[in-house]
Amino acid sequence: MLRSGLAGAATAGILLDGRRDALADDTLAEVKKRGELVIATEMQFAPFDISDNGTYKGLDRDLIDAVGKVLGVKVKYLDLPWTSILPGLEAKKFDLCVAPVTITKERMKRYLFTVPIADATAALLKRAKDASIKKPEDIAGKTVGGQKGTAQLAQLKAFAAKLPKPVEVKEYVDNNQSYADLAAGRIDASVNSFPNLAYAAAQRSDTFAVVTPPFGQPTYFSWVGRMGDKTLIDAINAAIIKTESDGTMEKIQKQWLGQTMSLPKTVPEPTI
Amino acid sequence: MPLQAFFNSFGYFAQAAGVTVAVSLAGIAIGFVIGVAVCIARVSGGRWLGGLGAVYVSVFRGVPLLVQLLFIYYFLAELGLDVPALVAAVGGLALASAAYQAEILRGALNAVPRGQGEAAIAIGFSPLDTWRRILLPQALRISVPPLINEFILLLKASSLVSVVGIAELTRVSMNVASSIYRPLEAYVGGGLFYLVINLGLAALGNLAERRLAAGSGP
Repeated sequence: MLRSGLAGAATAGILLDGRRDALADDTLAEVKKRGELVIATEMQFAPFDISDNGTYKGLDRDLIDAVGKVLGVKVKYLDLPWTSILPGLEAKKFDLCVAPVTITKERMKRYLFTVPIADATAALLKRAKDASIKKPEDIAGKTVGGQKGTAQLAQLKAFAAKLPKPVEVKEYVDNNQSYADLAAGRIDASVNSFPNLAYAAAQRSDTFAVVTPPFGQPTYFSWVGRMGDKTLIDAINAAIIKTESDGTMEKIQKQWLGQTMSLPKTVPEPTI
Repeated sequence: MPLQAFFNSFGYFAQAAGVTVAVSLAGIAIGFVIGVAVCIARVSGGRWLGGLGAVYVSVFRGVPLLVQLLFIYYFLAELGLDVPALVAAVGGLALASAAYQAEILRGALNAVPRGQGEAAIAIGFSPLDTWRRILLPQALRISVPPLINEFILLLKASSLVSVVGIAELTRVSMNVASSIYRPLEAYVGGGLFYLVINLGLAALGNLAERRLAAGSGP
């Protein structure tokens, strides 16, 4: 998902990027020296990032804690609105963004991605009682909502273009409003990544159900760092791969996604 | 039970409401001090100081608070000045509110009849005493209703400080909404807290008005 947000606010970062890269210092060494890795995310993206009565929880939390353990540092969490995260990363307010970001060609030019942390393939959510949608193609002629600027919404548009009847696409500031409108009956389906939808449907099984199978191209979520921080991202990649080989990742996936899935061990070539 | 979610998260809401109140009150108080200074500059600062005050008001009233907060927190960091989140939040609120408060005070000063100041000088008050004992007390009385208005507006605008990572009331309502998938309950909960806080502010305003009215005469 592209949570493109306040691109304008990032302009400051764009203007000064040249200067920053010129003196790209070693963030990894700095993190080890201070004994603390500072990460930021938006804690409104269940099951990855949840603020449960003020306590940070979710797949990202468990995984970054495991990564911190491997690196031998404590992890400090910041909760920022998505609009603030990429500008904050560029302004060096923190070391790493652990909000799940879909790997796309455009984004690889500006940010350094870690190896995938979860599947991000686009799928659809419908009202549990709606019998008119049984497979993804059934959204032909209906209204579907999604978060503005996300990779999943872009995939929905591409998918809808091939259907016999046009699909009306409604764009929302965030997925939660799209879910709310789905529950209220204003739209017929919501698009998001499969793990997000599976969790939402499990939380409110009386209201929501996932349309299987996912319709999108296989895509993945990764964390992102600054372009100049290659040593830090390499160390985090090694730590993520270690959690995959020692069974930690499997445990985390079972807890938050209800199933296990194998992930690529390198940053995959984006298909979108 | 529709409001179950609200009661489950009551402590979380209450804590966030505390943050909202603290950040807003600090912003209002610091904003008042800056506002008085800007107002004095505009009223009696001469050409340069007065012009500076006018520019201040134009900038901080003209640029959206959200942009000001992003500027203080992110852009200053680009220039090497790393402002902590809390300082950015309170500072942003104070600087913006000062522009409005300065204009409210200036309006109130203009509403004090011109003859009051002239009479004070005529019967031998010094310029300082004229301000301290004649003009400011009357202006303050006039400005209480619009100031309370401004305080309530600022308290609600403080929801914007979440962009620098402060977990205030609106942000927490959103967090609750997204974790339980029941947005209505979460936002009604947040709204109730705002209402209670602002009713409290309005009551304080009424009290201040009554106290200040005591010496107003017939």
